[in-house]
Amino acid sequence: MASPATATLSPARAFIREKIFLGMDLKDYLKSNLTAFNIVSAIILAVGIPLLVIRFAYGLGATTNLSQTAPWGLWIGFDMMTGIVLAAGGFTIGATVQLFGLHDYHAIERPAILTAFLGYVMAIIGLLADLGRPWNIVMAIFNYGTASALFEVAWCVMCYSTVLFLEFTLPASEWLGLKRWQAIMKKALIALTVLSVMFSTMHQSALGSLFLLAPTKLHPLWYTPFIFIFFFISAIVAGLCMVIVEGALSHRAFQSLVDHHVDMDKLTIGLGKAAAIVMFAYFFLKVQGVIDGHAWGLLLTPYGALFLVEVVGFVLVPSLLFAWGARNRKVKVVRFAGAMGVLGIVLNRLNVSVIAFNWNQPVRYVPSWMEFVVSISLCLIGVIAFRWVVYRMPILREQNARAAH
Amino acid sequence: MTIGRREFIRGAAVAAGCAGATAAMASTESGASVAAPGVLVDTTLCVGCRACEAACSETNALPAPPADDKVFEQTRNTAQQAFTVVNRTVKADGTARYAKKQCMHCVSPGCASACPVRAMDKSPAGPVTYNAKKCMGCRYCMIACPFDIPKYEYESNTPRVRKCTFCADRQARGLSPACTEVCPSGALTFGKRSELLEVAKTRIYTNPGKYVPHVYGENEAGGTSWLYITDVDLTKLGFRDDVPQKPIPELVSGALGAPPFVMTLWPPLLMGLFAFSKRRDEEKDEAGKETRHG
Amino acid sequence: MSHDFLSIYFAKSLEYVVAVGYLLLFIPFWRYVQGGRPAEVPAGADIRRPAEDFLRVRAPATARPAMAVRPAGATAPRPTAGWFHLPAGYLLHPGHTWARLDADGLVSVGVDDFAAKLVGPGRVDLPALGDRLAQGEPAAEIGHDDRTVPMLAPVDGTVVAVNATASEKPDALEDPYGAGWLFKVKPSHLAADFRQLLADAPARRFLEDAGEEIAMRLSPGLATVLQDGGTPIHGIAQALAGDDWDQLARQYFLT
Repeated sequence: MASPATATLSPARAFIREKIFLGMDLKDYLKSNLTAFNIVSAIILAVGIPLLVIRFAYGLGATTNLSQTAPWGLWIGFDMMTGIVLAAGGFTIGATVQLFGLHDYHAIERPAILTAFLGYVMAIIGLLADLGRPWNIVMAIFNYGTASALFEVAWCVMCYSTVLFLEFTLPASEWLGLKRWQAIMKKALIALTVLSVMFSTMHQSALGSLFLLAPTKLHPLWYTPFIFIFFFISAIVAGLCMVIVEGALSHRAFQSLVDHHVDMDKLTIGLGKAAAIVMFAYFFLKVQGVIDGHAWGLLLTPYGALFLVEVVGFVLVPSLLFAWGARNRKVKVVRFAGAMGVLGIVLNRLNVSVIAFNWNQPVRYVPSWMEFVVSISLCLIGVIAFRWVVYRMPILREQNARAAH
Repeated sequence: MTIGRREFIRGAAVAAGCAGATAAMASTESGASVAAPGVLVDTTLCVGCRACEAACSETNALPAPPADDKVFEQTRNTAQQAFTVVNRTVKADGTARYAKKQCMHCVSPGCASACPVRAMDKSPAGPVTYNAKKCMGCRYCMIACPFDIPKYEYESNTPRVRKCTFCADRQARGLSPACTEVCPSGALTFGKRSELLEVAKTRIYTNPGKYVPHVYGENEAGGTSWLYITDVDLTKLGFRDDVPQKPIPELVSGALGAPPFVMTLWPPLLMGLFAFSKRRDEEKDEAGKETRHG
Repeated sequence: MSHDFLSIYFAKSLEYVVAVGYLLLFIPFWRYVQGGRPAEVPAGADIRRPAEDFLRVRAPATARPAMAVRPAGATAPRPTAGWFHLPAGYLLHPGHTWARLDADGLVSVGVDDFAAKLVGPGRVDLPALGDRLAQGEPAAEIGHDDRTVPMLAPVDGTVVAVNATASEKPDALEDPYGAGWLFKVKPSHLAADFRQLLADAPARRFLEDAGEEIAMRLSPGLATVLQDGGTPIHGIAQALAGDDWDQLARQYFLT
């Protein structure tokens, strides 16, 4: 569907104008991008991207507060671990739609997969920033440190990112009109969904297994031999909550693109019900973990207070809010509980990897401002990429089949 | 059939050879090969001369350690440029006690099990070695080590993990580690770990009351190559006392056993779920069609 | 982690107690979550509600046909839901012309809200009386300046009446469904033709799709909804495509 102005352009330039510049010419397109959000993002990225360059030029010591007693910091704790868990919506909703057969949720399946794909890409970039010798990351393909949980994480993330990329090519091929590939991917979708659940189970739990070998370094309230089960269940929680939050945000931000026939409120309530149940169970799992570790006495310490804030304040409370909001069809309450749930999982990952880790060392780690700016920059890049794709590809609604009358 | 002298000698030699080979492959309770190397550190004999520090830095092309004994005023850790340090504590009666700190070269090393690319590796000869060419700098080995030994070159843009090498290349040539060779007081004894364990226990038994009745490294982290006997609390000399008494890799092996099961079980489980929900959808469609036509 | 042996008994008993307690709590919790009123389904839930016109014609709106339908139980319409409306009883051709069966058996024909706003006020060229029209063939033309674009006939038949006002006054298309009717046709294949046209929900959806395409072209970079401007004087197509407005319009009108 070429706009009239492109009828006179060469096919390549017409393609660029239609597909990339949304039908505008370059000048208008650039003008349309002068929004407040874009300007603030540009300022932040203008600091963040040079910081990344400095990190690669001068090393980790120049840009981070990592130390011999704090080998893992914000970039691992937030960019990688939190980034990966918040991208769990991809396999959660994928399984809900394709395997559980709840096709009502199809409308949020594609945004969830896009969020997951971009989340993993950003997590990998954050990982490359944190690795001391990132060029050797390919060594994991040729050297098989199979005794390591990190080996499993590396391979599963590699495989799952590939699966996510393939799932993403479905809307991309619709956008580009690649009908053959579209048909192939449509047929492969079930297999891809099964693989995505399988790989996600493995690496979401393996991220928890990473801490199994440091019982003397992770605070007893968080250390348990079952930490890998907790990480997997909390990934499902994060997926559900993140889809609720991201759905609410993108429906507000991209109102002109959304399919208004989709009853988003009904889907949100449905997700809220699921989240209520899973978070209820997860809360009791955490309680059992504390009892199994004989650590109940530590609940009265400062770290105990932090644990209670995380588990009672940001798991049990949102679970009850979900239950009440879903039952009484209060969509705003469900969304608020979703935001709390997301924060709770973020807090959990930060606690395990940074705050409650090496809790008994005399000198504690605090991230440097440069680490914060780089992390925020990576988040912003993810959001901007999400927006770029959503404006062009059939993510929030099916491809406009004008010709199909 | 009579066996002549030659056959007998030949047979005996073969038998002895087999026995020797089996003995060499035999493991002790901790899983260490009987022939694995070890060092016994008797802190009651250490005089704090720090010749070991000097020898280590020379062998590994590191800067010379500070000559001044003022370094003893603080409990030091190993560092990027210092693979071993000696710390001092003073007993109640005023005598000083010293202990050398370095990589313990665990029998079942946590760092090697943690390394996803086997840059940290346990060589069959005993030492836990590091290969910077494979290392991607994830620093998981630092998380894994219960003794907090590996140190990182954060100020470099091609950083390496730094720790004692147990003089693996010297050992390969039949020499003993540089530190054990220069020790003047006999505090460091290099030998077979299994034998040194016996020596350590013997010293404790034959000197009742002199030593703390514990060989540090016998079971710490499932057993280490470096064994310590002492008459003071080792935490005063910069050692951790909360090291798990089982091999670090064992803490992970249970959870790591799950992936093959997940890969086997998830596809039939999930496809079964898919088939079930598809069947349910089809039944719903058929029921809908019937009511429409009925 | 090795604990004092005897403390294991207390811990394990506590675990079992907590697990049983959880199971007992789970049953009422599940029922609580799954309970609650089922979702209210407003009457005609699938029907797109005609929302307020987003782009209003500058002149005060003349009486629009009072047939803007609101389904019973409607809640507040969403702001961007439907910039172009279609009254009930009007059938839509994909080329953005409408047909309405009148009481006298004749079919009135005009251009829809979208077409009127896309092209803007200007000229209307009507068919002559007695012209035989075929469904999907060009029948009338609308436009401005020196150019017009053809519009397709929604039904087969013979032209029996034309709306002279429409061809004389430039702002006739401000009321495209009422005073802006173009011509009347004696239909020759009424039932067959009407089966090809869109009505009600599909028609509204069609208009809504068109509206959203236009919206995307107008403000793709902004996250907010269009400001309340008026229709550009020479129509949306001119605002979008300048001199090539007629090419843009033809795309939508299928001509």
